[in-house]
Amino acid sequence: MSHEIKLVDVLPSVFAEQADRLPHVRDSRVWLNTVSFVTPGRYLVVAESGTGKSSLISFIYGNRHDYQGTILLDGEDISHFSPQKWCEVRRTRLALLPQEMRLFPELTVYENIDIKNRLTGYKTEGQINDMLQLLGIADKRDTPAALLSIGQQQRVAMIRALCQPFEFLLLDEPVSHLDDRNNETVASLVDEEAQRQGAAIITTSVGNHLAINNAEILKL
Amino acid sequence: MTTSPVWRLLRRNISPWQLAGYALANLIGLAIVLTAIQFYTDVDNATSGNDDNRLHDYLVVSRSIGLLNRNTAFSNREIENLEQQPWVEAVGRFEASRFRASISVDFQGHSLSTETFFESLPAQFFDRLPRDWNFNPDKGEVPIILSRDYLALYNFGFASSRGLPKLRDNEVSLVPLQITIAGRGHTAHLRGYIAGFSSRISTIAVPAEFMTWANDNYGSETATQGPSRLVVEVSDPGNPDVRKYLSDNGLEIAGDKLDNSETGFFLRLVTGVVIGVGIVISLLALFILTLSIFLLIHKNREKLRDLMLLGYSAGSVARYYYRLTLAVNLIVMLLSIIIVLAVRPQWTTAISSLDMTPGSITAMLLTAAAITAAVTTLNIATIHHLTTRCRA
Repeated sequence: MSHEIKLVDVLPSVFAEQADRLPHVRDSRVWLNTVSFVTPGRYLVVAESGTGKSSLISFIYGNRHDYQGTILLDGEDISHFSPQKWCEVRRTRLALLPQEMRLFPELTVYENIDIKNRLTGYKTEGQINDMLQLLGIADKRDTPAALLSIGQQQRVAMIRALCQPFEFLLLDEPVSHLDDRNNETVASLVDEEAQRQGAAIITTSVGNHLAINNAEILKL
Repeated sequence: MTTSPVWRLLRRNISPWQLAGYALANLIGLAIVLTAIQFYTDVDNATSGNDDNRLHDYLVVSRSIGLLNRNTAFSNREIENLEQQPWVEAVGRFEASRFRASISVDFQGHSLSTETFFESLPAQFFDRLPRDWNFNPDKGEVPIILSRDYLALYNFGFASSRGLPKLRDNEVSLVPLQITIAGRGHTAHLRGYIAGFSSRISTIAVPAEFMTWANDNYGSETATQGPSRLVVEVSDPGNPDVRKYLSDNGLEIAGDKLDNSETGFFLRLVTGVVIGVGIVISLLALFILTLSIFLLIHKNREKLRDLMLLGYSAGSVARYYYRLTLAVNLIVMLLSIIIVLAVRPQWTTAISSLDMTPGSITAMLLTAAAITAAVTTLNIATIHHLTTRCRA
């Protein structure tokens, strides 16, 4: 069964008053349009800085509500979800890599991943170690997240996002601090996991795009 | 709990000093409340003797004898009026003997004989009823309950002056008594024995069955009709209304029962004040903890949000703080109970040395559990409220 996230006339409240005068709203393929993200698609939302790319991800993930229009998850208006429903959605249907990573600096790399995985029980410790190995940060396993570089943090947050079942993987600038080689490794890891789950990937980018093939590109 | 990374995150910003301050303040408050309750239970139990119902007291009421008032009997109307007073639980009528009676005893070669009287009253008013408290004319044996004061009079007055041995309760019951009753031209000789002593009722009491039988067969018609003494069970003898009613109606009370009761009244008053002070301290402590929880959750707000962003529910995150407050409150409860049990000998040794029995610790323990449950519930409600407001 395929799943769908549908945006109908969505616009950040902050743009609402002068929507017709803002060129990035007028030219946007997302704002004030009807957009469907369907599994198992690959979507790349390309945007300039300050056009509301992170806001879009936050609206879909339900941690910001300052928008007008409607967002539907499999036909259900997400603005009506209860807190309990959101917990369940975030454990089983939507996975997120936020732009600011939101790792806990006092916890080690492994604990930061485990704090998600113990909620879902989705990956084994061995699988987590393999992913750390693949992304070249196995030696940082027991290092507090506060001591990692931004690029390393990005890879930890990526592994954490994969420790759950999902229908949609939301990646907000996932490779902004990665070199090309790491970008490709991350892209193939993410793509494989999404394929295995039959899930869609929605990724945003201001410049350094995640290296996934055949993605539908939407200009925000 | 310490191994979970969630707890490692959430325990940050917990201020041990605030927590210790709360625990100490609540410990002081709770210890004061529990000590007051335990002290009251012990003293109340000791002063009301072996009465089953310690909150109640019994007054023996009779009419004041004046120059113009020689009639000592209570009318039915007076008794009904008394029964209707809000502080009266029950009224028992003394039935007096209407025949002549004498008791004689042969004791170590000494023969004592005395004219006497008997009274009977409903069994429920005795502090402790002997097993064979009845009378069968065919057996002709009469059990008697004496006022404990009479035993004291014998032991410390009569026996000392005559060089006779002092008697204990159980020895007295072995002494055989000869009872002679006479009236209407008949005489009867009966065997009697002391079946027990009462500290509540000052009289020479016999079973109601004996009194009915003897009055029916030997009683004079001209003797006073109607009871001249009443025993009144009162719910709150310290109540000033009791004294007012009695003086307004020209009634007297045997012994200093009412003075004792007023002491009890003040004991309750002082205990109430002390418990109030303890509760105020505990409430202030609760206020400290509530503020502390508020600060803690405020400081950890970002972490709570991030956890909820990962899919943790507010409840599963708050659970760690629930456990923390529950643990602190349980420790405070146990320590305050230990404190009460540690200071309790200060007064129980005094009570025991007066041959009185201190009360049980059940009421104190139940109060401790109830207060701890209430405080923990409030804490949990506060945490629940604040964490759900952090929702991401």
